[in-house]
Amino acid sequence: MTSPTDQELIERWRHEPAPLLPLLHAFHDRDGYLSDEALRAVARGLKIPLAELFGDVTFYHHFERDPSRTNAPRVCTGPVCRYQGGPEILAALEKDGATPMPCAGRCDDPVPVLRGGHALAGTAADSLRAHLSPLPPPNPGSHEECVFSAIREPGRARLDGYRRTGGYEALTKAVTELQPADLIHLVTENGLAGRGGAGFPTGTKWQAVADAAAHPKTVVCNADEGEPGCFKDRAILCHDPHAVLEGMTLAAYATGATRGFVYLRYEYPEAFRVLQHAIHEAEQAGLLGGSILGTDFAFHVHLRRGAGAYICGEEGSLLNSLEGKHPFPRNRPPFPVTHGYENLPTVVNNVETLAAAVQLIRRGGKWYRNLGMNGHAGTKVISLSGDIRRPGNYEVPIGLPLKTLLYEWAGGPFEGREIQAVTMAGLSGGFLAADDLEVTLDEPGIRAKGSFLGAGGIMVFDSTRDMIAVAHEAMSFFAHESCGKCFPCRIGTQRLTERLAGEAGPTELSAWIDEVSDLGETMKAVSACGLGLAAPLITESLLKYFPERVAQHVQA
Amino acid sequence: MSNPLADMEKPDVIFAIGTNMTECHPVAATRLKRALKRGAKMIVADPRRIGLADLADLYLPIRVGSDVALLLAMAHVIQREGLVDPEFLADRTKESETFLEHVKQFPPEWAEQITGVPAKDIETAALWYGRADKGAIYYTLGITEHICGVDNVQSLGNLALMTGHVGREGTGINPMRGQNNIQGAGDSGALPNNYAGFQPVTDPENQKKFERLYGRKTDLEKGPTKVTALEMAGDQIRAMIIDGENTVVSDPDRHHCERALKALDHLIVIDLFMTETAQLADVVLPAAAWGETDGVQTNTERRVQRIRRAVDPPGLAKPDWWIICEIAKRLGFQGFDYPSAREVFNELCSVSPIYFGLDWDRIDRGEYQWPVPEQGHPGTPRLHEREFVSGRGLFRVIEYRDPAETISDDFPVWLTTGRRLASYHTRTQTGRSAGIDYLLPEETLEVHPDDVAAWGLSDGGWAEMSSPRGCVTIKVRATRRSPRGTVFASFAFNDTPVNVLTGGGYDPVTHTAELKVCPVRVVPA
Amino acid sequence: MIATEKDLKTHTMMLDGEAVSFTEGETIYEVAQRVKTDIPTLCYDQRLEAFGGCRLCVVEVEGQRLPVASCTTKATPGMVVRTSTATLEKHRKTLLEMVASENREIDVDPLRGYAAQELATLVDRYDARGGRFRGKRSGATREDDDNPFILRDYDLCISCYRCVRVCAEQEGDHAISVMNRGFETQITVEFEGLLKDSACTFCGQCVQTCPTGALADKKALRFAELPGAIEKTRTICAYCGVGCSVDVLTKGDTMVGIQPAMDGPANHGALCVKGQFAYDFVQHPDRLKTPLVRGDDGKLHEADWDTALDRAAEGLRRVVDQHGRHAVYAVASGRAPSEAAYAVQKLMRAGWGTNHIDNCSRA
Repeated sequence: MTSPTDQELIERWRHEPAPLLPLLHAFHDRDGYLSDEALRAVARGLKIPLAELFGDVTFYHHFERDPSRTNAPRVCTGPVCRYQGGPEILAALEKDGATPMPCAGRCDDPVPVLRGGHALAGTAADSLRAHLSPLPPPNPGSHEECVFSAIREPGRARLDGYRRTGGYEALTKAVTELQPADLIHLVTENGLAGRGGAGFPTGTKWQAVADAAAHPKTVVCNADEGEPGCFKDRAILCHDPHAVLEGMTLAAYATGATRGFVYLRYEYPEAFRVLQHAIHEAEQAGLLGGSILGTDFAFHVHLRRGAGAYICGEEGSLLNSLEGKHPFPRNRPPFPVTHGYENLPTVVNNVETLAAAVQLIRRGGKWYRNLGMNGHAGTKVISLSGDIRRPGNYEVPIGLPLKTLLYEWAGGPFEGREIQAVTMAGLSGGFLAADDLEVTLDEPGIRAKGSFLGAGGIMVFDSTRDMIAVAHEAMSFFAHESCGKCFPCRIGTQRLTERLAGEAGPTELSAWIDEVSDLGETMKAVSACGLGLAAPLITESLLKYFPERVAQHVQA
Repeated sequence: MSNPLADMEKPDVIFAIGTNMTECHPVAATRLKRALKRGAKMIVADPRRIGLADLADLYLPIRVGSDVALLLAMAHVIQREGLVDPEFLADRTKESETFLEHVKQFPPEWAEQITGVPAKDIETAALWYGRADKGAIYYTLGITEHICGVDNVQSLGNLALMTGHVGREGTGINPMRGQNNIQGAGDSGALPNNYAGFQPVTDPENQKKFERLYGRKTDLEKGPTKVTALEMAGDQIRAMIIDGENTVVSDPDRHHCERALKALDHLIVIDLFMTETAQLADVVLPAAAWGETDGVQTNTERRVQRIRRAVDPPGLAKPDWWIICEIAKRLGFQGFDYPSAREVFNELCSVSPIYFGLDWDRIDRGEYQWPVPEQGHPGTPRLHEREFVSGRGLFRVIEYRDPAETISDDFPVWLTTGRRLASYHTRTQTGRSAGIDYLLPEETLEVHPDDVAAWGLSDGGWAEMSSPRGCVTIKVRATRRSPRGTVFASFAFNDTPVNVLTGGGYDPVTHTAELKVCPVRVVPA
Repeated sequence: MIATEKDLKTHTMMLDGEAVSFTEGETIYEVAQRVKTDIPTLCYDQRLEAFGGCRLCVVEVEGQRLPVASCTTKATPGMVVRTSTATLEKHRKTLLEMVASENREIDVDPLRGYAAQELATLVDRYDARGGRFRGKRSGATREDDDNPFILRDYDLCISCYRCVRVCAEQEGDHAISVMNRGFETQITVEFEGLLKDSACTFCGQCVQTCPTGALADKKALRFAELPGAIEKTRTICAYCGVGCSVDVLTKGDTMVGIQPAMDGPANHGALCVKGQFAYDFVQHPDRLKTPLVRGDDGKLHEADWDTALDRAAEGLRRVVDQHGRHAVYAVASGRAPSEAAYAVQKLMRAGWGTNHIDNCSRA
């Protein structure tokens, strides 16, 4: 088989919606890198200025521009993997041109290595193999689950298996019995809030899109799970893909949207294939496409892969990335509900939110609301990893004490060690330690400690870890992923990283603290998006819980 | 321009024909780019795939000199598809019936034969322009530098009239003026047919008015155009004053032009540099340059603006107006005693109905676009809003004519000439500005790569290009901007005097030379 | 209120304790500008879409947890805004100290460009301490770019993207872009090449909007050492018919550069390569400095004005005497000011009563 020509690739994509990323991937897959000629062809074919295209390509981590480095492996050296063999695998694969990559979302099954479009995993270079990421462990607390309620059923990832276990019941009910307004009412009444991190009420978002006048409307599934220590979306996408598609279709029905995108992070190639197949199955079965369940409701879903940029999980960046623009966050307001994809009304929901929506529409009433504890509504999937006996995705009732999760559900620390600190919201919530581990898993509780639950990633660091090193790694991640649009984040993450590395900054403790606090305060107050607002929580919590260690570090 | 530059951001459909705007009027082109970003569609008709064509939604690669055929066929489609604006026709125009009947003979298939543009693209262009709410036409010398320049302009006028795309925001027929004050020169009465403010010399009332003002009766007959005057040189015309023009290099048929100027008894040239033209003069008078003199100039949208002196002129150089007045005074003429440019301009305002509401102080910030008929008038950014100057818009019945010279076995290639971004006219200015050579060190002949091969040329090699009037040697550049069979060069470089070749014909009305069409032979040098 | 303003509703908001009216659609920054409340910015250029990158223009809005960027936030009725609280001023100072820390320190010559001193001015005003937040520097200067117009001194770059945006939004050239991200951000063109190999048209807009002098006018910098203050004279460009407003920069009697007039009615600050950079023909040594008269030897000789003008007039008089008034013809310039064209046509008409006058528009 001969490989496709430039023109064939361009023709394949140029009339599709959001064509830039898939077209770049097509060239990348064909050649193993993006040549100057490829970029010129894409620029001409899609009428994108060449300079802009060139700049955009350099923004994404996984687009290779060097022909001598095609198919070079990328090894996760994220906060968990760096203690689970990541650096050793990287060293072992150096002969193949391996480079490190930030957390690739497989902290319950380390160490992920990307090679030629495949995701391998293993704790040593010679034991790497391709396999699906793990299912969530059975719920140890015997609490009723929402998004995970059927994920462990055999065959659930296939349409027939999904339907056998209640799949597409919610959609059928919605399309045949309910008005869009009823659907929004159900979601609102159940108290569903966004599970990607921001916690915005889902019903309110859907209502705003439904109310917006402009057309066509779009549903975007944010599957760019880039937060270190978060791997819940991966589990849902790999094992319950139809739940996500059904959730998107329900959102489309509720809002009047006619087109949908799944924006999937590049590091999940196996999820890409699972989703591709699921979309195909759903289309064949009349559950997606021009005439859903025989009605005149039409909704088309397009699968798009990112290319390695944490910021694209931020919804403005994600939309810019989809549109083929430079993936900077957008200024808000206006919000995506009125000015989203192509400046038209758009729902952007996280994978977990969409999967949850299916269940609560299926169950109706106030079922979901009652899943929480102590008056909190619903559940949240926590990705738990690091120095803990049983890492994995746990769907907890909102309001569960953190220590119950850590010690009872996940078995506590390894023999002879103690939990020194945990991160919250992946890395974005900074650290909790000492007495503050006595907290319940709900936003008000955690915010009271100066952190937040966010996307629900919790990484555990036991007493053997150097918290300065952990904080430095965390801050270098933020510096590496800072998009460069706003001054406080672009410069601040760099300066904080340098100070944690001991490369620059005052050697006198009070001056050091003064600089680090001033940087952090300004970043927290005036950064343009969540990245810059969150990054200083790392140094802030480090200073709060580990002042002696900081003093040692500065004086050393 | 009938409409202000700001209107260039407003059309729904832009029809740009014979204008290489991104190179010749780059700042105006930025406004079109903004319209495109806003969602406007653009049709570009040009023999060359110019920069503007890259931005176009529809590009019509017309054969040089075939504009009338294209425009007739577009009118045909607009008429046939019922896209004519009946109210506008009834209220604002005359003689539409004859015209609408006339265009029935010219379907796009007919025009395809002449222009080389596929009939379906002509059809699309007509439909877009005809259906637009706001359609605007932009053109430059690609329309006027033909033997049928007037026909071209009037054909564009017909299109705008039949669709009512005139007199409103984002519409109009908009020629882009090429020189900083070419509009002002005409406004000021430097025309053989008009006094200042376009008051016809053939009107006895005007003759009386200016006799009162100037103290002498001026002929009722129009004067000869410059082109005619050059033909009369050495015969009826024996003396010339040329202010700031390098006629020898910029005009067509250079050899003829040189002969004409040499045949004069007396030639006075006022200029900044010892140009090729000044070298032929009996008296060369050094003028103050831009930046060295106060004055007024009027831009392409009729905006009257002040220019100001920033430095002193070198040596003895003096402002042009002063030099001319000094000559006048030495000839004993009255009314040339001006203390400064201010008084000259204020007199111009007082004799010109379009400047009558202006004076030196009032234009200080450049907010007025003429006509400004009286003091307190806000100016007129948009012409023809309620009626045309002549009352009703007149449809013209126009037939296609071939260029003065067409390709033959001897001269089988179309040469078309033009300008480039980094050089201006004959480079008397840009050629003396540091760094410009970095961008544009020499002239080249743009040839389609397949023609380069077919004619035995090489990219970067030398070619000899000849027409019935002469021959130049020029470096070849292979580029797909040129279509097959058509080559392009600018006349900017004196060492590559392309205007040695041009000059096959003139428009009979305006006497503008057909610089855009010249059959040539191109062979390896 | 007259009926024609029906589309533009006006409302009131509180700005630093004063009630201020505004029009729907105005941003807080625009309102503040209008009422002369100074808010610092570095990424703002009034001709471009607000970007929200530098965060210096943040203000406090009652009811909002965090300060908002005033350049991207629309004013709303009843909004209560404070533009310069102690907290805001401290953030601004910290931001300026952060920005100062990424660049080498230099005195920015105002000849670098229209906006070149914006950062330096703010750093002074806020007394931002240069020595704070020391660390790695950003941006790599392109010493290899040999173009004669635009200095690419990216050591001074603060990644405000004004150059990128002006090139795209104002000029429509899209030649400049940004590569990499975060602190590694680098302003560039396609394939990191030279400007001349890119889509750059050398209009100089990037130079004129740069707030640090990182992009600078190389031609003007030739005169950096020339003593004297810079004077600006407003005039209109010498080239095409668009009529762009420019400021001519002079030191004494030397023209040292051109800057676009941001309030120019025809151009709103836009220029092209000719208007921006092709001005020095004016002071070229080739300029004619004295009148010249052709002698009996057939050559042109220098003369004083009286001699030359007498000779010019004498020649005309002789021709008219011998061949009549219709034997004289004049061509007016399309480059010279209107006064010249008016004088020439008046000479022909008032002098000899003929219409033997034309201008150079037919070529």
